[in-house]
Amino acid sequence: MSKLKTENLTRRFLGLVAVNNVSFSMEEGEILGIIGPNGAGKTTFINLISGIIMPSEGLIEYKGQDITYIPAHERARMGIARTYQLIHPLENLTLIENVMVGSIFAKGNGLKEARRRAEALCQELGLTGLDRDTSRLTILEIKKMEIARALANEPEVLFLDEVMAGLNADETKDIIAMVQKIAQERHLAVGVVEHVMGVIRELTHRVIVLEAGELIAEGKYEDVSKNPRVIEAYLGGGAA
Amino acid sequence: MNRNVSRIFAALFGILAIALPLFAGDYPLQVARNIMLYMALAITWDMLLRSGQISFGIAGLFGVGAYAAILGVIRAGMPAWFSIIFAAIFSGVVAFAIGFLILRLRAMYFSIVTLALGEIFRIIIHNLHDFTGGPEGVVMQQGVIFGGSAGKLYWLTLAGLAVAIAASYWFEKSKIHFALTAIRNNEISAKSSGVNIFRWLLLAFVVTSAIQGLLGGIFVQSYGFATPDTVFSADFTLLPLAMALLGGVYSTRGPIFGAILLGLVSEWLKLKIPYGHLVVYGIIIIIVILFMPQGLKQLVRQPANKTDRRSA
Ligand SMILES: Nc1ncnc2c1ncn2[C@@H]1O[C@H](COP(=O)(O)OP(=O)(O)OP(=O)(O)O)[C@@H](O)[C@H]1O
Ligand SMILES: [Mg+2]
Repeated sequence: MSKLKTENLTRRFLGLVAVNNVSFSMEEGEILGIIGPNGAGKTTFINLISGIIMPSEGLIEYKGQDITYIPAHERARMGIARTYQLIHPLENLTLIENVMVGSIFAKGNGLKEARRRAEALCQELGLTGLDRDTSRLTILEIKKMEIARALANEPEVLFLDEVMAGLNADETKDIIAMVQKIAQERHLAVGVVEHVMGVIRELTHRVIVLEAGELIAEGKYEDVSKNPRVIEAYLGGGAA
Repeated sequence: MNRNVSRIFAALFGILAIALPLFAGDYPLQVARNIMLYMALAITWDMLLRSGQISFGIAGLFGVGAYAAILGVIRAGMPAWFSIIFAAIFSGVVAFAIGFLILRLRAMYFSIVTLALGEIFRIIIHNLHDFTGGPEGVVMQQGVIFGGSAGKLYWLTLAGLAVAIAASYWFEKSKIHFALTAIRNNEISAKSSGVNIFRWLLLAFVVTSAIQGLLGGIFVQSYGFATPDTVFSADFTLLPLAMALLGGVYSTRGPIFGAILLGLVSEWLKLKIPYGHLVVYGIIIIIVILFMPQGLKQLVRQPANKTDRRSA
């Protein structure tokens, strides 16, 4: 049984079909790349899976259970976590408190236990100065905090929406290694959206390619990157 | 400020507040009672504000509690002390019911609807003449609590304030603090961390409304009568709001400071210039909002020396 799968998942915004009839599945321990030109529907796809928006049509199944219309906070409790392309730190909470939120509400831990777990997570990701305001963090620290916040849910499925954007080469390497280690140790299924193909090549076991909301290719990065339709989508793609 | 020093101050202030009726006359007690009432309302307003919801409905739930208490005594023969608890329960239940309708609204829409609610309650009471006494209101012939003793009424109001402060600390120190702050900062990422937004908003709305109802019950027991125009007065919405803004929002301390300061100043101005105090008071509020958006708390805290964040 797949960890997560969708069938004919579709989401329309007025006239625009942002996600069009997408069927895919993800297995435990797998790092899946989700690529495609700007506006292809990658973020919308993650929004649908995490329950931030509801689909127009189709089905989402998590560990064999239909979760298509389950609210986002319940999916977080069931084990689906994500980060945001547009970072959303909780600016009136400190770094450690930001990380505690998921532990408190997605896992139902008390404040003391949540703090203990959040501290352990921060240590694992190399975050220090835990009582700082989020306005005092560097971009790398913010990105790590966003990953820590998602991991605080103790998820089984994790989506990372362009976490490496804005980072330099060394920082990117740092995060790639971190994601690999996290995924392996926790047996996570990870979905990674990135525009830098080097990152996708290095990090993922398999990729799916979206274009104008449709899934146009699927397979190992090496094969998919030679697919004429994919090359066409990237070269001829409107926004990118 | 040093933590221990401020603790000692708070303890001294608490002792002074409890002991006041032992040496103060009726007038200062009356002033103090008023200030404590508004202070408690200011704290409850702030408690809901911590979730990002700006309510203009304080007077509405306060008035509902006031009428629940007085009608409980007159129509149902409740003992005075019980009518106050009944007021809290009644306002809480009303808030629970309307919360299901209005807590889906956000920002201005929520604020305007809460303002309208107070008006609706007032009109209902106006029109249920036989039961509520209509526009002329109702008077308690017997059963006024403590036979109207100034000192005991003072302690009653102090007890109401203690409930508000205790609830506010509970909000600050428990997971409610995390829920409400996350909701205020970003609802989408709060959801992704498992926060059931509606449930926490409902909890905050019901608890703050119940305390507002409790205070309405205390108010009506203190004066022995209620009319729609007195208990639904806009003062009960606007003064607490101004006090919290002046003292600094999102804390228990802010509304307490703001209420002491604004309460004393407006009392003093009332003596100097009849009605002029309202004007002066409006000006103070405008100045505070324009120049000190964090209230007086800003003066105590060091300005944050924020480092720039590289943009993503
Ligand atoms: N809430 C919305 N309302 C209307 N249109 C939307 C909404 N969200 C996304 N869209 C549209 O859906 C399409 C897909 O957007 P989406 O953000 O999912 O793309 P993406 O693949 O993540 O792009 P990028 O690589 O730039 O992040 C775009 O045309 C976008 O304008
Ligand atoms: Mg995107």
